[in-house]
Amino acid sequence: MKRRDLLRAGVLTGAVAALQPPRSIAHATAQGSSAPSELTPAQRGIDASKDLGAPGWKPLFLDEHQNETLIALSDLIIPATDTPGAKDALVNRYIDLVLAADTHENQKSFLNNLAYLDGESIRRYKAAFRYVSREDQDDLLHGLAYPNGGSGWTGEAVTDPGHTHFEQLKTRIGVAYYNSQIGTRELGWDGAFAHGPYEGCTHPEGNHK
Amino acid sequence: MTWNFLEQDPSAATYDAIVVGSGATGGWAAKHLAEAGVKVALLEAGRAVSPTEFTEHTPAYKLKYRDHSPEILRTRPIQKQCYACMEYNYEWFVNDLENPYSTPPDKPFTWQRLRVLGGRSLVWGRQSYRMSDNDFKAASRDGYGDNWPISYADLSPYYDIVEKYVGITGAAEGNEMLPDGQFLPPMKMSCGEVLLRERVKAKFGRTVTIGRAAVLTQNHNGRSACHYCGPCERGCRTFSYFSSPFTTVADAQNSGNCTLITNAVVSHVNMDNAQNKANGVTYVDRLTRQVKEVRGKSVILCAQALESTRILLNSSTREYSKGLANSSGALGHYLMDHVVGGGASGNLPNMKERPDANEPQRPNGIYIPRFRNTPSSKRHSQFIRGYGYQGSGGAAFNFGAEGYGTSFKGAVKEGVYSVGLGAFGESLARWDNYIEIDNNLKDAWGIPALRISMTHGDNETALMDDAASQAAEMLEAAGARDIKVQARVEMPGMAIHELGTARMGNDPKKSVLNAFNQTHDVKNLFVMDGASFVSSACQNPTLSMMAVTVRACTHLVERFKGGEV
Repeated sequence: MKRRDLLRAGVLTGAVAALQPPRSIAHATAQGSSAPSELTPAQRGIDASKDLGAPGWKPLFLDEHQNETLIALSDLIIPATDTPGAKDALVNRYIDLVLAADTHENQKSFLNNLAYLDGESIRRYKAAFRYVSREDQDDLLHGLAYPNGGSGWTGEAVTDPGHTHFEQLKTRIGVAYYNSQIGTRELGWDGAFAHGPYEGCTHPEGNHK
Repeated sequence: MTWNFLEQDPSAATYDAIVVGSGATGGWAAKHLAEAGVKVALLEAGRAVSPTEFTEHTPAYKLKYRDHSPEILRTRPIQKQCYACMEYNYEWFVNDLENPYSTPPDKPFTWQRLRVLGGRSLVWGRQSYRMSDNDFKAASRDGYGDNWPISYADLSPYYDIVEKYVGITGAAEGNEMLPDGQFLPPMKMSCGEVLLRERVKAKFGRTVTIGRAAVLTQNHNGRSACHYCGPCERGCRTFSYFSSPFTTVADAQNSGNCTLITNAVVSHVNMDNAQNKANGVTYVDRLTRQVKEVRGKSVILCAQALESTRILLNSSTREYSKGLANSSGALGHYLMDHVVGGGASGNLPNMKERPDANEPQRPNGIYIPRFRNTPSSKRHSQFIRGYGYQGSGGAAFNFGAEGYGTSFKGAVKEGVYSVGLGAFGESLARWDNYIEIDNNLKDAWGIPALRISMTHGDNETALMDDAASQAAEMLEAAGARDIKVQARVEMPGMAIHELGTARMGNDPKKSVLNAFNQTHDVKNLFVMDGASFVSSACQNPTLSMMAVTVRACTHLVERFKGGEV
């Protein structure tokens, strides 16, 4: 067993022991129990992670065309590689759920993003985004992601409206994917909460140049 | 204010002390007094809290909106501006629809607060720094404002008491602006932070230290050492960060001398006008809306700076027509909140470390103590006082990577090694930053609400300008690239360090409280929270607030023993 694993085990043992609140704390919380409505679903222990995978799922906000467009787009933004991608993570269902509860302004903004994608696709390939070939979809996205050969990441100002639409869609898809269970596995999380203590820099002084 | 259906607390007891508020300061007041044998009633506007509702070990994917809930905005559009108000715990924060306040249209103020046992100590940032005589006697040094009626020597023993009990991790640095305290072992710095520390010391002679935080690095006072899971603001099953319900409040109750009354929304202090003494408080039961009274020989307000002063403003009598204990007229004035919005961030391309989802999450950062207008530095030409920085450096997943597809997916995991510094600047005490009662606005319990008028001034703007350029220079010295500089002045309230409005002072004509947090006007009435601050310094204030409370309570216990109360 590595030192780190030992530390982890030790910390976890301590953590589990401390899960039993001291008597004084039980006493402190005995008075005035709280109504369930005053706890968030998370505080009530509700696990919503399986909800979106339920059979018979139907979108709450998006229409069929918008939903299919989003699926196609998300599969291009975060494809399956040796690990599952955005389509497997059902990011379209999550985004639809959020949009259904979102502000009118955000809903409108998202639909504008999708409409821009279709508009460009029709202008260039005479068909909506979801109907053109994967090659054409990729070609279109490349132009939006790297306008004028630059991305904005390297410092030059980007004013390309297509790039803005692209980035807004990509952000939605990224948030949906990396906060899904598949996404946390993609980042390598082992499912444990205690990995401490934090060891920080162990190099000798003056080592870093 | 007139109240119908007034009824006596069923217990009809008269307590020695009524403490209003159960957060960082109220918890200490209740503990200190109750353990000294004083019979305490501790009133909390919210409900009790249980460790079973902590969610620090719940992954985001189990939440309906994966911690990006748009629903929170419906009931908490203001609270959502707080980094700690999230899908996990938003019910701890006040419902903005039930708890309104107003501001002039050109003076936005964000007031972020909790109503639950422990208050903001459940979600606080835990950073814990002492103030020094450079702060307590700042007016003597630069001629602005007023000195505190107490010095560092007066408060130092109480810092010791608080730190030993709470458990503060930190490193002694011998810095003239930031006195060392009673520290648990320091947390470690990352490689990038060590590099920054070395370069900044070499080039500027300034100190970069590990944050001083109310988080345990070893088992302490019956609580377990931190297990580095990260999100303290969702609660902690091992009670490794300091929050009052599981420490001070629990101690108060275990003493047998403290009665906790939850869901008690205090509206005003009751007075025996003939004797010029407070004799209790009136509260509205949060759930039943019944109006009740608790009687006491002394009243101690620890409700949070603005709430304590709101209670006094709502307690006007014929004798005190402009707010209770307000013969000075200073009540409500000199509102402060640290100015934030200046800083810089960049990348350290020489650092080869990759992000690791299983790396222990250190609930703490680095700190750079104030280096402007110090005893050993030149007086700055553009501003008085100064600022300190909080920051961090380390490898993180690069969710902002460019492009899409396989390359994007890879770049996210490849990560980026970033380092950043954000300043907290002193907010000058100004008469024209103030709170008053808005006569046209009431909360859900019928209690008149506040109108808050505050702006940051030219000095605060100059502090943030300087903080931005200095942060960029220090990051550059550490070899940072792609440095992004931010020289904003965020709206007041964003630091969540509200202070002042019932300040201490030796002159009853210019201040509300004496050096022991006792109102000059009413001898058995006290304000022991951040409202009492004379100046804000630039250090995170909670540690100082707790030390001030313990000092005031120590004095009060002596007066109880002497039969003066």
